[in-house]
Amino acid sequence: MDKTTIICRCEEISCEEVEEVISNGGRTFDDVKRITRCGMGPCQAKICTSMVAEIIHQQTGLSPSEIPLPRMRMPLSPIKLETLATNSTSFSTVKSVLDEVELEEGKVR
Amino acid sequence: METNYETIVIGGGVVGSGIAYHLSERYKEGVLVLDKKYPMSGTSGSTQAWVWVHNKTPSWYAEFNMYSAELYPYLSKKIGDVEYKRTGGLSPFFNESDREKAQKLAESYRKIGIKIKVLSREEVLEKEPYMNPEVAGATYSSIDGNVNPFRLIDMYMRAAKRNGVRYSTYNKVTEIKKQDGKYSVVSDKGAFECKNLILAGGTWSREIGDMLGVKIPVNQLRGQILVSEPLKPFLNFTISGLRQANNGEVLMGYSMEEAGFNRATTLDVIQETANMAVQYVPGLRKAKIVRAFSGIRAMPEDGFPILGKVPGHENLYVAATHSGVTLSPLIGTLITELIMDGETSIPIDRYSLSRFG
Ligand SMILES: Cc1cc2nc3c(=O)[nH]c(=O)nc-3n(C[C@H](O)[C@H](O)[C@H](O)COP(=O)(O)OP(=O)(O)OC[C@H]3O[C@@H](n4cnc5c(N)ncnc54)[C@H](O)[C@@H]3O)c2cc1C
Ligand code: FES
Repeated sequence: MDKTTIICRCEEISCEEVEEVISNGGRTFDDVKRITRCGMGPCQAKICTSMVAEIIHQQTGLSPSEIPLPRMRMPLSPIKLETLATNSTSFSTVKSVLDEVELEEGKVR
Repeated sequence: METNYETIVIGGGVVGSGIAYHLSERYKEGVLVLDKKYPMSGTSGSTQAWVWVHNKTPSWYAEFNMYSAELYPYLSKKIGDVEYKRTGGLSPFFNESDREKAQKLAESYRKIGIKIKVLSREEVLEKEPYMNPEVAGATYSSIDGNVNPFRLIDMYMRAAKRNGVRYSTYNKVTEIKKQDGKYSVVSDKGAFECKNLILAGGTWSREIGDMLGVKIPVNQLRGQILVSEPLKPFLNFTISGLRQANNGEVLMGYSMEEAGFNRATTLDVIQETANMAVQYVPGLRKAKIVRAFSGIRAMPEDGFPILGKVPGHENLYVAATHSGVTLSPLIGTLITELIMDGETSIPIDRYSLSRFG
């Protein structure tokens, strides 16, 4: 692979950028992702995963089985927010910052 | 690799790397940062990264956050573009009954120099036209903003390394011994010696403290976030609940649950988060969600940062906190002062580990 080869098409990340992360001590796809955004594009790493694994393998000598796959998260493909919403306006785990402000004898603590 | 250092920092997240960078500005002795994985693999890589001040309580804690937020513009001049934006922060409320509380907050914080405006419905919609028109009002302060946490840590690390700091990553600390007035830090890649030891292990602080017989009462508190596809810029402010990043993605979520170290995302909290987002900004309904993630906050037992010298242990320091993104420039500055000058420019006694007895 050439230094300028584009590894992540969605985010336009080149081979050189991926290599830099590895030479600074990164070892996993997620390390590369957090620093370069490689894998955070619309395809959510479907296209770039294997090429990044190949670069990690070449640079570190780790065998493919030692290179963890990126953590797959819901949703596996993009989904509209309204599909996830249930239209309830009562919250338990989700907080409002203002609700956390407590008054003591009518004054802010 | 060199095994003798003046100072070792355990943990290279935003707190540990922030300390290492600030130390390296003034300090010419050797500094080593050890991280069991790569920095950002902990909480610092799964955060909303608001630089948030205005409605934290009590007032002395808000003031502490304010000092840190004020260091951000200068920090970005020094270490490079971390995409820090002082957008101003908006906390909406949907019940008119909350206005009184908001006004009380504004009144008492004026005294400490945090300017908060309590906005009417019309004023909110003028500032943030996509906010739900059913909003009753909001508190607003210009001090709040947000930052790109990945760039922040990357820049801290790069600047620290330029100043001579060494990093050893994928290197877990397994044992710490005190020998002849020095600390011997045993890791997967061998033992290192140092005079000063700084514990910045975030949500793992308790187990690192145990290695020295020091109780660091930090618990785990999970938060889950939804990320949208990049949208054209349409949100002007950091809203307590969601924000739009530089690349157009909207990050939504403000949730708290006790789930130990489990970093799963769960449908119930994803749904609640979606409900919050559409309540705040109905226009997001049609936006596509591309990713969900969760992170584990380090939550000290009483909710406040644990900072400074570890009582009874010479040259041992601890920094464990939530809101570490907001606080990292100040924590870095203060721990550096403590090590170099023996005292801090802002008192931090109330954040001492000694309060837990
Ligand atoms: C969902 C969510 C939203 C948040 N939103 C905000 C926000 O808007 N604003 C804000 O200011 N804060 C926010 N926070 C909190 C903030 O992200 C954290 O306070 C901050 O990232 C903590 O940084 P840290 O360096 O202490 O921890 P970490 O980043 O976890 O760093 C600790 C490091 O220690 C290393 N380590 C642990 N044990 C060992 C060992 N034995 N040997 C070697 N290394 C070890 C780990 O690998 C890790 O890299 C949020 C947190 C979450 C979860
Ligand atoms: S090619 Fe990398 S995210 Fe799509």
